[in-house]
Amino acid sequence: MPTTLRIALLAGLLALLSNVAVVGFIYWRTHDESLSTVRRQVVEQGKVVSDMYRVGGQPALDDAVEDAITYGDPQVVAALLDRSGRQVIGNLTVVPTEGGRLQEGYRTALLRLKNQSTPREAAMVVHRLPNGQWLISGRTVGEGLALRETLESSLLLSLVVAGLLGLICGIIQAQYVGRRVGDIAAVADSISGHDLSRRVPLSGSGDAFDRLGQQINAMLDRISRLMEELRILTDSLAHDLRTPVSRLRSAAQAAAEASDPKEQEELLAGVIRQSDILIRILSAVLEISRSEALTGRNQFTWFDARELADKLAEMYEPLAEEAGATLRYAKPAHPLPMFGHRQLLAQAVSNLIENAIRYGAAGGEIEVAVTRPDGHVRIAVCDRGPGIPSELRGEARRRFGRLDSSRSDEGAGLGLALAEAIAHLHDGQLVLEDNAPGLLTAIEVPLRHEGAAPSLQ
Amino acid sequence: MGRKILLVEDDRETAAYLAKGLTQEGHSVEQATNGQDGLFRATDGTFDLVILDRMLPVLDGLSVLKALRAARIETPVLILSALASVGDRIEGLEHGSDDYLVKPFSFAELLARVNALLRRRESRIDPADHRLTVGDLEIDPLSRSVKRGGKKLDLKPREYLLLEYFARNEGRVVTRTMLLEQVWDYHFDPGTNVIDVHVSRLRRKLDDGFEKPLLHTVRGAGYMLAA
Repeated sequence: MPTTLRIALLAGLLALLSNVAVVGFIYWRTHDESLSTVRRQVVEQGKVVSDMYRVGGQPALDDAVEDAITYGDPQVVAALLDRSGRQVIGNLTVVPTEGGRLQEGYRTALLRLKNQSTPREAAMVVHRLPNGQWLISGRTVGEGLALRETLESSLLLSLVVAGLLGLICGIIQAQYVGRRVGDIAAVADSISGHDLSRRVPLSGSGDAFDRLGQQINAMLDRISRLMEELRILTDSLAHDLRTPVSRLRSAAQAAAEASDPKEQEELLAGVIRQSDILIRILSAVLEISRSEALTGRNQFTWFDARELADKLAEMYEPLAEEAGATLRYAKPAHPLPMFGHRQLLAQAVSNLIENAIRYGAAGGEIEVAVTRPDGHVRIAVCDRGPGIPSELRGEARRRFGRLDSSRSDEGAGLGLALAEAIAHLHDGQLVLEDNAPGLLTAIEVPLRHEGAAPSLQ
Repeated sequence: MGRKILLVEDDRETAAYLAKGLTQEGHSVEQATNGQDGLFRATDGTFDLVILDRMLPVLDGLSVLKALRAARIETPVLILSALASVGDRIEGLEHGSDDYLVKPFSFAELLARVNALLRRRESRIDPADHRLTVGDLEIDPLSRSVKRGGKKLDLKPREYLLLEYFARNEGRVVTRTMLLEQVWDYHFDPGTNVIDVHVSRLRRKLDDGFEKPLLHTVRGAGYMLAA
């Protein structure tokens, strides 16, 4: 059975069921309760009148019927009929027969009494007396019964209509849902066919389907970006490893050919140095992909961001001095507790500081600052060097993205990429800004509220 | 001076290379090629050090380590691993290893760490606040004061920690990564010579004006404090 039909039938069935429930409730409230009351009263009244006959004989019965008609409630139905069913005493205009015959027992019928102008619904009991006469006793119940009967038939009709409407609604819904889902499915199909460029069309109404479509589109954007990054990364990895590998090779070759032992030793040291560079590149690439895959979150702990920056500033201060710059850190007065991977964040910030020393030391001043802008912890490193023009900042973040190809011996162009990956691991971001003049780099990480922050001294 | 070392490593080439080097240093080396065998031998408890590869057949290195520690065998364990990320290193240390060395490594690095671990075992008997002396250098860990030739040296806190670590490993090679891990508690590899800069600052304060230098550079390996 196609899904559309199934949805339509389900919707129709649900509409029908809910209507049956409502109609059933109305029927139960209007029908059963009042009708049983009337019936009880009428049966009671019939018994009283027929008892008259047993106690007082024919005259008493005649009197009782006569009295009931004359002095009783105008709603009372009372009639004494002879054996053939002809009215002897009574206020009936027509004898209510069933298929031309009278039947004992309780029944309801539409009757016009002698004192009434219009027929009314009546509930009555028919008794056959021992002498063969018929006694009819009962009362009209106003328009209640008629209304009820109309109501009941309307209710029945409404059930049919509701069922049909439900089915129609179901079909419309199913078609709508089917179309919207179909759009999404078509995109998914084309992705299986390796076309990542298609996107789910949005109706612009912001409904659940739009939101689903947006999610899928965002996911597709991310997948294509990742795939593009992966392609660039593989290309660059292959390309960037060529330089150190070929250097390694020539150093090894030179060492193999050297005749002087001292010279050979030096060349072998070069071989080891080149291997170390290769290993460092591979470790950085590994660390980036680990962080991008969000592994390591189980090693998150609470620590003081202020101390982390303090320790790193102290660690790099002599290196900055050697490069001709002063490294300053204004330690905030209060602890800044944050939840994260202390080692990786330290590495990320150390990359920022190393970059500042490597490229910005000429500006003379490097500043490390820890602040807490609106729900975030921000560890910034500012230099007064040449900076990076805004159009090149994207390139600077990229793995193996190097702005100055002539400086290929220094670093592998992975520092900022790793810092960014570590920021992402913490749901944060790497900020690159103009320090006017110079460069401001910062790791900005949202504060987490998993458990209360311990008090840090 | 020779010690008993258990080497659990499944790569024959690496195992042979390490066993040869450690034997040349005067240690006796026993070998196991899978985790189960390694655990069985290590529970013997007579080894001074276990060198444990992390990825091993039958039973992986971390499981061996956990089992050892659960059995209350406190033999120092040095983990070797090709798993090089910062998270992997921390995981290894959290499982109770005493040191973690990432493959590929130089033999000098391994030897320096092996010696430091063996030494640490010895010095466990000494009270920590014992005065340290190296030649005419005197260190008092309680007051954190340093004197050389009777003259007080004015060191910054980190320089003091650096010197104390050197002094506790007197006469042994200390590598740059060991300093970074032990003195700074960082497990990543900085892309700069930041450690060398700190050591040369310390050296200036320590050796300038004295005839005999105490802090030596060991080429291709690291540094050594020796009289």
